[in-house]
Order: sequence, then C-alpha cells, then structure tokens
Amino acid sequence: MDKDFPPAPLDDQDLEALFAAAQRDTPELDPKFLAQLQAQAAAALPQQPAAAPQRRRPGIFGRLSQVVAQIGGWPAGAGLAMAGAAGVVIGVSPPETVLDITSAYFQTESLSELSGIGLEAEFTWEDS
Amino acid sequence: MALDASQNLEDVELLARFAKGDRSAAQILTARLAPFVFAQAYRMLGDRAEAEDITQDSLLRLWHAAPDWQPGQAKVTTWLYRVASNLCIDKMRKTKRHSGEAVPELPDDRPNMERRLQDRARAQALRAALGGLPERQKQAMTLRHLEGLSNPDVAQIMQISVEAVESLMSRGKRSLAHALAPQKKALGLEDDG
Repeated sequence: MDKDFPPAPLDDQDLEALFAAAQRDTPELDPKFLAQLQAQAAAALPQQPAAAPQRRRPGIFGRLSQVVAQIGGWPAGAGLAMAGAAGVVIGVSPPETVLDITSAYFQTESLSELSGIGLEAEFTWEDS
Repeated sequence: MALDASQNLEDVELLARFAKGDRSAAQILTARLAPFVFAQAYRMLGDRAEAEDITQDSLLRLWHAAPDWQPGQAKVTTWLYRVASNLCIDKMRKTKRHSGEAVPELPDDRPNMERRLQDRARAQALRAALGGLPERQKQAMTLRHLEGLSNPDVAQIMQISVEAVESLMSRGKRSLAHALAPQKKALGLEDDG
C-alpha cells in the first residue's frame, strides 16, 4: 500500500541543497562576450557637446580690423581716413573759396569772428 | 579619470561618469555588472545563449537610463535585478518553457565530475520546478535563494512589502517541496542526511 502514499515533500535542508547546487551550476561569463558588452557600452556613451572654442578678446589691431570690415574693408577705410585728413587740413588752413562760402553763409568777415567763440561771441545772424 | 582610481567608485558614481561620456566608467561598470546579471539570468533560464541576450538587453537599458539617473533612486544593482528578472519572465512567457535547455556536455577530465553532474541535475530539476510556480513566487524565490538577496532587497526589487515577499516565499517553498518530492531519490537528497 506504500505506493498509494504521495512521496514526502522535501524539507528545508533538501531545498537548500538544491539551491546551493543551482548556485554552483552557473557558468562563467565568456570573455569574448564580455568584450562585446564592453564595446556596446562604449558605443552607448552619450555624446558630449564639443567644448566651445575659447573666444579670445581681439587686440587693438583686431578691433580695428573689425571696424574696417564693417565699413567696407580697407579701401573704404583708406578713403575715410583721407577724407578725415582733408577735413582737418581745411579746418586749419581753409582755402579762400571755403572762407568765402563760410563768410557768405554766416555773414562774417572772417572766421576769426567765429573762432573766438565764447559767451561774448557775437554772431551776426543774431543781430536784431 | 584613471582606470585604477575609478575601480573604487560606487556604481552610481560610475553611472554618472558614464552619462558624461567617461569610457573607463563604461568599462568598469560592464565588468562589474555583467557577470551578476548573466548569473541571475542563467539561474532563471538555464540557457547560456538566452542568459547572454538578457545580459545584453539589461545593460543596454541601463546605458540608456544613465543620463536621467537620479542619485537618490534605487541602487544600480537593484534596478538591474528588476530589469533582468522581468526580462527573464517575459522570455519564459514567450517561449512557454519552464525548464532548462539540453545540458551541454561537461568535460570528463574534472576530478569532481560526479559532484558537478549532480549539481547540474539538481539545478535543472530546481529550475523546472521553479518554472511551474506562479511568476511572483518564482521571482521571489530566485532572488532570495539563488541570488542570495535579503528579504528587504527582494521587496524593493519587486516593489512589494517585505511581508508580501515572505508570503510569496512561504508558498513557493511549499510548492517546490511537493513538486520535487518524487525526484528526491534521483537527486541524491536522501543520501545527504
């Protein structure tokens, strides 16, 4: 009649023996597979934004170049410089023609009347 | 950072470095985590190729999660146990397979050949019996008794209470004890005293 009885269940010790066997029965990781995983990890590295190039503050010539570039390059810069120099020359030593025009416009005899501008300067267009 | 110095860093620190593009952190983390994910998957599935698939998939998920990883969240290993465990369960559902695959031949020049064969037979029988358990019982039993984790760790991985883990394991043990009873003699358990 023994065969009619179900087999006795395993006890805790039996189960522990089975778990221990299963723990031991774990193969090592294949080194080739590990190398493959390493490569995948490297490929999965987040891409970092490239470091922004450090902006150098331009020197005086650099800034001058920037200004010149904004007004049309060196040819335009040379023209502007020449015009400025001409203005200075005309201002310091005005040709007769310029003087006549100025006098006629301001109704003065000479520029000296204007050059000594001060509070006491008398402007002929204000004489009323 | 130098590889040697990085070896002592915690997983979470290495993961933060990984997220910043540190190649050495990627290497160390892989070498550190892959073996235990593989072991866990193999113990659940009993198949090397499938365990490798799970390992690869789990780690890829970790790499993708790295940039958004919050330092205060679960431990990296806990997170990985959960991912690998769920992937194993998915795999078993899809293949409808609950026991180990064909056992590869062991080299016969091992001095402890008999012991190894017995381990293999016992491990296979255990995996087959575990496969017959409800999924949550199987997951709890595997994490607790095959991975050697504590009940609180298992609870955290399974996102349930410790009491629920204890309940799952109590029922799981009882089921295993009955399911394996007919094989007791074949597995050499009666001789263990």
